[in-house]
Amino acid sequence: MAYYVNRNISMTWWERSYIPEILKGLWLTSRRFFRNLFGFLPFFLGTKKDRRIFTVYYPEEQVQYPIAYRGRPVLAQNEDGQPACVACGLCEIACPAYCIHIEPGENSGKQNQYERWPDVFNIDYAVCIFCGNCEEACPEEAIFMSDDCEISMLDRKKMLYTKEQLLVPVADLQKRIEFTRNMYAKWNY
Amino acid sequence: MWVDLIITLVKILFIFTVTVGFFAPILTWVERKQSALMQDRIGANRAEIMGFTALGLFHIIADAVKMFTKEDFIPDGANKFLHTISPILALVPAILTFAVVPFGGQYTLFDKEVNLVISDLDVGLLFVFAIASLATYGYVIAGWSSNNNWSLLGSMRTASQMISYEVTMGLTIIGVLMVYETMKLPEIGAAQEDFFRWGFFLQPLGFIMFLAASIAENKRIPFDAPEAESELVAGYFTEYSGIKFGMFFMAEFIEMVTIAAIVTILFFGAWHIPFLTTATLLSWFDFLGATGSNFAVMLIHIAVFFAKVVFFIWFQMVIRWTLPRFRYDQIMKLGWKILLPLSLANILVTAIVIMILN
Repeated sequence: MAYYVNRNISMTWWERSYIPEILKGLWLTSRRFFRNLFGFLPFFLGTKKDRRIFTVYYPEEQVQYPIAYRGRPVLAQNEDGQPACVACGLCEIACPAYCIHIEPGENSGKQNQYERWPDVFNIDYAVCIFCGNCEEACPEEAIFMSDDCEISMLDRKKMLYTKEQLLVPVADLQKRIEFTRNMYAKWNY
Repeated sequence: MWVDLIITLVKILFIFTVTVGFFAPILTWVERKQSALMQDRIGANRAEIMGFTALGLFHIIADAVKMFTKEDFIPDGANKFLHTISPILALVPAILTFAVVPFGGQYTLFDKEVNLVISDLDVGLLFVFAIASLATYGYVIAGWSSNNNWSLLGSMRTASQMISYEVTMGLTIIGVLMVYETMKLPEIGAAQEDFFRWGFFLQPLGFIMFLAASIAENKRIPFDAPEAESELVAGYFTEYSGIKFGMFFMAEFIEMVTIAAIVTILFFGAWHIPFLTTATLLSWFDFLGATGSNFAVMLIHIAVFFAKVVFFIWFQMVIRWTLPRFRYDQIMKLGWKILLPLSLANILVTAIVIMILN
């Protein structure tokens, strides 16, 4: 049984005759075709910015991710080479996927030195869900979500990153640090 | 005798090279690239040989390798013989129609008349439609023998759609036959030497209806009810893989070339250039001698013909990537309630005009 939906469309006679509307559509798409045909030639001549096609040749070209993008979490490394982390374990607790493993180390009361630092700091990216809770929980501005998302690997065991692999100089993270300060100010500071 | 045989063989070889060897593979690339450009994308460009991608042209080779090396799967309960033979039944008529399609006029080479058509049948136009409708058997048998509900539905739709639109097609060309008073395709082509005698000017409505009906015959969007990717998985060729699947695709692309060629011959002046008669062209190349000038004109005419064919292939692709699909009942309504009365009216008006002019 045929079921008709009343769409309340009132078409003029011109539209109802169908041919002119088809020609309008064909004009639109063929205009795009010729524009892009001559527009994507500059890519092969080297000037990539000029083309109107917004598809990106991914591995060769990359787009700038917005600062709010949550890529893989990394550890901030101070100017003297030490991690900013104090191994308090808050991120470990905040992590809903239990992908962070921390073993703390501390000095025996010497002056002018770091009091606590992580001896072992592992993040298993095969388990990580990129929620950003660790970043939010961190009281020391030590762990941040970077814009790096290219962490696919053939071996699952290689996805477990140790402290040395996680460290990123704090200078590279300034934008994200500013962002998190604005973002989480009402809770952390 | 031997000369005739050799000439015919050369013509067959030429047609085979152009359709199966050039158009069928290149159209797979054209379809991808053109749809990409129309949708502001880049399109296939990842297949590379020695670091060169050549705008994605190597995807043709990759496709061929894939088609030939894939497992040739026949589902349980399928009729093996019919399942195997149906892609051939679909592909052969598509190529066979080119036997009567002229790709140039008549030329005198070395005091010998060369007619650029493989076989100049008296019923050329009818032959095209007879053979083209044979392809329906391939599609219907393909769906029927697959032992699959989607395939069966697809083949039923193919049958009904083919029947509906073949009526329109047949009635549309009657107008052309009345105007040119011949069924030989080369003669129809030769009659359009004058720009204002082109079929497009004499039969404008016939041209639109013929194009619509022939796209429907080819089962491409917007008339893709038999394939219907969104309803039936892939219609009649759901259960096909490997080179059999490739043969269905090849048939579709070669049919596109056929449609473009027939439309060019019937409505767009075949191999003629507007406002340039063959005699004028011949006089331009007088310095090459009788054979030389004929040969040069022949090459020009073949080039013009295939340029027009390429334009109509492009046009079909634009239609395919612009218009949304028709629903099944809309296809039937368009075929029987709109195109059929219009084509009958077209015949009537043509007849009246011809009678008044005589």
